[in-house]
Amino acid sequence: MRLGLPHMGKIYIAVKCMADELGIDLVIPPPTSQRTLDLGVKYSPETACLPFKLTLGNMIEALDLGADTTMMPGGPGPCRFGYYHKVQEAILRQLGYNFHMVTQDGGLKHVINALTNGAPLRKVIVAFNFGIAKLKAVEGLEQMVHKIRAIERDKGSASRIYNESCKAINNVGDHQALNQTKQECLQRLNNLPTVAFPKPLKIGITGEFFVVLDPFANMDIEIELGKLGVEVKRSIFVQDWVRFNPFLIALGLREKDRSHKAAIPYLSHHVGGDGWQSVGEKVLHAKDWDGMVHLEPFGCVPEIMARNIMPSTKEKLPVLNIILDEHTGKAGVVNRLEAFVDMIRRRKKGKVCV
Amino acid sequence: MIKVGIPRALLYYQYYPMWKTFLEELGAEVVVSPPTTQTILSSGSSRVVADTCLPVKVFCGHVLALIGECDHIFIPAIRSVKTKIYNCSKFLGLPDMTRAVIPESPPILDIDIDINTGKRELYQAIYKLGRRFTWSPFKVRKAAVAAWQAYLKYRQLMSNYGLTIPQAIARISNTTEAEPKTLSSHPSQASIAIVGHPYLLHDEHINHRLIHRLEQADYKVLTPEMLTGEQLELAITRLVGRPYWTYEEEVVGAGGYYLESGVDGVIGIMAFGCGPDSLMMDMVRRQSARLKTSTFMSLTLEEHTAEAGIATRVEAFLDMIQRRKRRRAEACV
Repeated sequence: MRLGLPHMGKIYIAVKCMADELGIDLVIPPPTSQRTLDLGVKYSPETACLPFKLTLGNMIEALDLGADTTMMPGGPGPCRFGYYHKVQEAILRQLGYNFHMVTQDGGLKHVINALTNGAPLRKVIVAFNFGIAKLKAVEGLEQMVHKIRAIERDKGSASRIYNESCKAINNVGDHQALNQTKQECLQRLNNLPTVAFPKPLKIGITGEFFVVLDPFANMDIEIELGKLGVEVKRSIFVQDWVRFNPFLIALGLREKDRSHKAAIPYLSHHVGGDGWQSVGEKVLHAKDWDGMVHLEPFGCVPEIMARNIMPSTKEKLPVLNIILDEHTGKAGVVNRLEAFVDMIRRRKKGKVCV
Repeated sequence: MIKVGIPRALLYYQYYPMWKTFLEELGAEVVVSPPTTQTILSSGSSRVVADTCLPVKVFCGHVLALIGECDHIFIPAIRSVKTKIYNCSKFLGLPDMTRAVIPESPPILDIDIDINTGKRELYQAIYKLGRRFTWSPFKVRKAAVAAWQAYLKYRQLMSNYGLTIPQAIARISNTTEAEPKTLSSHPSQASIAIVGHPYLLHDEHINHRLIHRLEQADYKVLTPEMLTGEQLELAITRLVGRPYWTYEEEVVGAGGYYLESGVDGVIGIMAFGCGPDSLMMDMVRRQSARLKTSTFMSLTLEEHTAEAGIATRVEAFLDMIQRRKRRRAEACV
């Protein structure tokens, strides 16, 4: 079995680590590029959303590299994401690829069996743990980088260190080395020269999870905001899905639960995707954020619902909505971000004067 | 008597007889908004963000048209009617969205239908709705049973007699204006199946009287509701396996069934930007390319769709069917 998985942000680091531990032959498709997008767009239904097109492009590239198995998360739920694997499988078969598609339709156990090479459960758990540890390390650094980008003296240095750290973390082989690498990277980030002025703005990023997490899909929006002196706040992290903390769940203290609760006066139920959370984050963070950037792929129905409801909340927070698809240009996004940040700075100044 | 308004959009087409019976049994008077007009559509689309799908824009227009006509508006949130099969986001958040975009609307009567939470929750949801009209749980129960009977009768009427939704609704409400068309003296040229959600197929304004056009050209029109539930489900299972969306049978099920049964043409109708339809219609299109039995055309509707565009495409499609039939006849000779 040669497994090829689509990309989403830096998640491949964790996946590669698990695959290595379990002795699975993993084909990492080349990093998402314009070619990936072009391939995806060419073979997708025209109004399918950006994540569909990008993951399809990744799969094609992985299959071209010799993968014979691929996986796409699926399962019941109101977002059409769960239906993607059916359509993608049909498309790839029509293109003449011969492969095995692992889906969640047969339950989680089926997925584990299909992907673990028949390894004993103990080994699976060890591998999973190490993968999650790497994921946490990467995302921990990411949170740190969000802060530093806004105040670094030499723009771009934090991103450079972050990319180097990801490579280093990708290469380490055990927990001890991982911890050491992580500490070193944190040290390097902390030692970066910073400036005290202007005071960074706090802007949240929310929306559909794939475009929030994938820098190619969102045109490196976090880096662009960092250049403008903005500290990015983000509550969507991959580790939240795999971290199981019964204490926090019982108390409803997870970030997700809190934002859902905050949204209830305006949207009482889940609408699929991350629509509920988007509304909730606006309500929840109206006081502590200066603004919010709402990302969505074009045609995302849950986020359209959220966008319809958001303006009517009593809690006011400036929201910039950015709709992403294959025709989105980077210059357009950067322009709008600049205007948005200028507007927030002016607003803040006005408030201080009064 | 409390006047309850039902917008003539979205799920009205599936469930109107059921809702009407339920509300009338509880002593309410039911008011339905008038058929869609350009004014209704424009007023609706002025309220929501631009890329909201066409049926929701139409729905908002109908809610606006009901303001002043009724005391309450009935907008259910139908989340799931089969285990582990959910509905599209737009149905899930419909009452909340209406409250947000139309703050001046009359109080909204909403009910959450979610089969996954269990029977008890479902009964409680129905009772909670009924309690707005009566204190007696027995009366609510009676109304719910009557409503269910009315719904079954409605479905049966359509699948047994081959009626379309507007014809069935007209027959149930005993209006004579929309008598089902008597079979014309000469047999129709060919049969064409239209697949898609009923709120697109039977809203004559947004699809520019597509069914009427085909009937005028002397074609027999088949629609998804003319099939029974079992036929649709079997067709879905054959094509994609387990259904994923609540109303998938109207597109994939009906599309798959009609393609297999070898009708002369299949027209798939979807709204621009509809999440589920964009994928489901693609499955139907792929199936038609595989089977090569019927001619397939997909029409995408939005508020800028012009009548001339639809007419041209339908004409070309019908010409294609005629040509294909002629060629086949020649091949037989």
